[in-house]
Amino acid sequence: MKILLVEDNERVSQFVVKGLQEAGHTTDHAGNGRDGMFLAASEPYDVIIMDRMLPGEIDGLAIIEVLRKAGKRTPILILSALSEVDDRIRGLRSGGDDYLSKPFAFGELLARVDALHRRAKGVDTEVPLTVGDLHMDPLTRKVTRGDRPIALQPREFKLLEYLMRHAGQVVTRTMLLENVWDYHFDPQTNVVDVHISKLRQKIDAEFERPLLRTVRNAGYTVTAGD
Amino acid sequence: MMRSSAVSLALGYVVLGIAALVLFAAPLWYAWQVTIQDGRAEFLQADAQRLTDVFRREGADGLKTFIDARVQMQIANERILLLTDASLHPIAGNLGAWPAAVPVAPGNYTIKFIPDNRGVQTALIHVAQLGGGYNLLVGRDNALFAPLQTHFWYGLAGAVAVLSIAGLLIGLITRRALMSRVNSIRHTVSAIIHGDLKHRLPTQLNDDELNTLSRTINGMLEQIELLVHGVRNVSNSIAHDLRTPLAELRSRLEELALIRPPPEQAFAEIDGAVADVDRVIRIFDALLRLAEIDAGLRRSGFVTLDLADLAANAVEFYAPAAELKNIDLEFRSDGALPVSGDPILLAQALGNLIDNALKYAPENGAIVVAALKSGEAGAEISVSDNGPGIVDGEKSKVVQRFYRGDASRGTPGVGLGLSLVQAVAKLHGSSLVLSDQNPGLRAAVTLPLEAAMPAAIPTPPQPAVSASAGSAIAPVVTCARVPTSTSS
Repeated sequence: MKILLVEDNERVSQFVVKGLQEAGHTTDHAGNGRDGMFLAASEPYDVIIMDRMLPGEIDGLAIIEVLRKAGKRTPILILSALSEVDDRIRGLRSGGDDYLSKPFAFGELLARVDALHRRAKGVDTEVPLTVGDLHMDPLTRKVTRGDRPIALQPREFKLLEYLMRHAGQVVTRTMLLENVWDYHFDPQTNVVDVHISKLRQKIDAEFERPLLRTVRNAGYTVTAGD
Repeated sequence: MMRSSAVSLALGYVVLGIAALVLFAAPLWYAWQVTIQDGRAEFLQADAQRLTDVFRREGADGLKTFIDARVQMQIANERILLLTDASLHPIAGNLGAWPAAVPVAPGNYTIKFIPDNRGVQTALIHVAQLGGGYNLLVGRDNALFAPLQTHFWYGLAGAVAVLSIAGLLIGLITRRALMSRVNSIRHTVSAIIHGDLKHRLPTQLNDDELNTLSRTINGMLEQIELLVHGVRNVSNSIAHDLRTPLAELRSRLEELALIRPPPEQAFAEIDGAVADVDRVIRIFDALLRLAEIDAGLRRSGFVTLDLADLAANAVEFYAPAAELKNIDLEFRSDGALPVSGDPILLAQALGNLIDNALKYAPENGAIVVAALKSGEAGAEISVSDNGPGIVDGEKSKVVQRFYRGDASRGTPGVGLGLSLVQAVAKLHGSSLVLSDQNPGLRAAVTLPLEAAMPAAIPTPPQPAVSASAGSAIAPVVTCARVPTSTSS
């Protein structure tokens, strides 16, 4: 994946670029708004990671607005030290696709970039999902593993659907909270983990090969591979 | 002084008043002139006609006698009469000669003349030609109306003068009154600018413009003081509470640098350090959100939402956690509860309450979340547990920032949960009410019900996925008592 990082903080940039490269992505870095605007407009990227506040006249939101007006639909993840919810809404309204507040865990950033890239490739919400021998039909809401039907509560279904749509990718707890429950706060207890373990009971317990796996220090992933 | 708004306003009104007077007087004057002129011309014509009739009946001599008699009878010289022969030689009447200004042709004329030292007068003259070269002149001077005209003009001038003087006086008085009040406001505001936020603008009881403005400004100052106070509070709290985890983090890293342990142990220490940082970030986020709520900045996020639906979702979310502790988590609702609020904050507040209850309810305990109508126009959301509860003396303290009760020692949390609930309740114009369950704590917030529920709101939730088998939505009137656990 080709990624553009527009971020003025040297240390954060180094850390992100290194991490993205280790994850196998080609990463360009722009340290100010003008370079960022130039690169974003002229090079084809799969995902742009944009800091909101940049030195110089052009800030992150302005770049996003210009890009969107010019018809560029590249998915954009906004990074910001401003975490207030209103601010997040403003960021998304200006044309950003996701919002991550600083400081962040690198795992969270990587998972969100992956999710954005996947989403940009287009999601057909009606096509049945398959991971290994686990099948889900979003239309009939039927879930089967092998030949065995699995009965899920509506919320469990939504949780599994989200995980399966991001099969092979790491999905963080925050992403699950935001997308499955629409909660934009941090519940102090490990409730998400409990939901996951309940779901795991239903789809993995009686099977030899577990599909829903925990990724240490990051989140969860549904995958048929090893 | 001319720049003062009060004086310019008064001047404007004076000019306007004068213009109105002129507009009123001018047509009146015109109408008066025209009507009188016409009336008098008709009168003169009729008079001339009568004299002509006399001439026809009795001839020139008869008319002469008639005119002479009239002139004798006349008290004032207001009526002008003259009969001449063809060579304009006077035969009868009270004029010595034919006035040069009057042509010898039938018709009406207005002339100036000077009768017996009474000053210049105007007179209306009617000339008629009788048979045989005789000319008849009848007229009336306008002296009778002169005083009336004079009075009219004097009256107009007087009105203008009174208007101007009164206007200017009122302007000056208003300006004085205004200036004294504006000055007092200015003094207060400069005191505030210099940092003393305690000052308030003086207000009186009445509802005039300045008082209304002063009251509005006072309201604004109140809010500013609150905000400044909030900022000060938050910085104090941050300084107080971030110090501990930061100190831990520092010593952890310092020790790591000093001891240089083998990689395995070092990595474990680094993980611990990251967890420390996460804790700091969490406190930070909670504080920022609190400050944001306190500032009232989030009112823009208010929408109409169903409180019962929100509560059902929260119960569903926490149900597995309750199940894990073998706690009976029950949800009670009596139908949709449309309220106006911020869905994110309300969800977080309710989440905090349930989280708290889960923390303090004993193993095999019971928690009841209820979203019920309260009175005619209230929606009460409450969370009751059968944990240790909070003693009366501590109830007001637990909503304070960073306060952690005795019972909470050793449990995770930063001591901001209930203060966030309180702040959210306050933002929604309500407050968090804590009461005893004997045993246990009941935390409740009552919001005003919205009159109508827009169609966009989702229908009431499906039965919550609860740890309790008997926890389907059941209409209940009160939830003051928590029933004992049925099953889990």
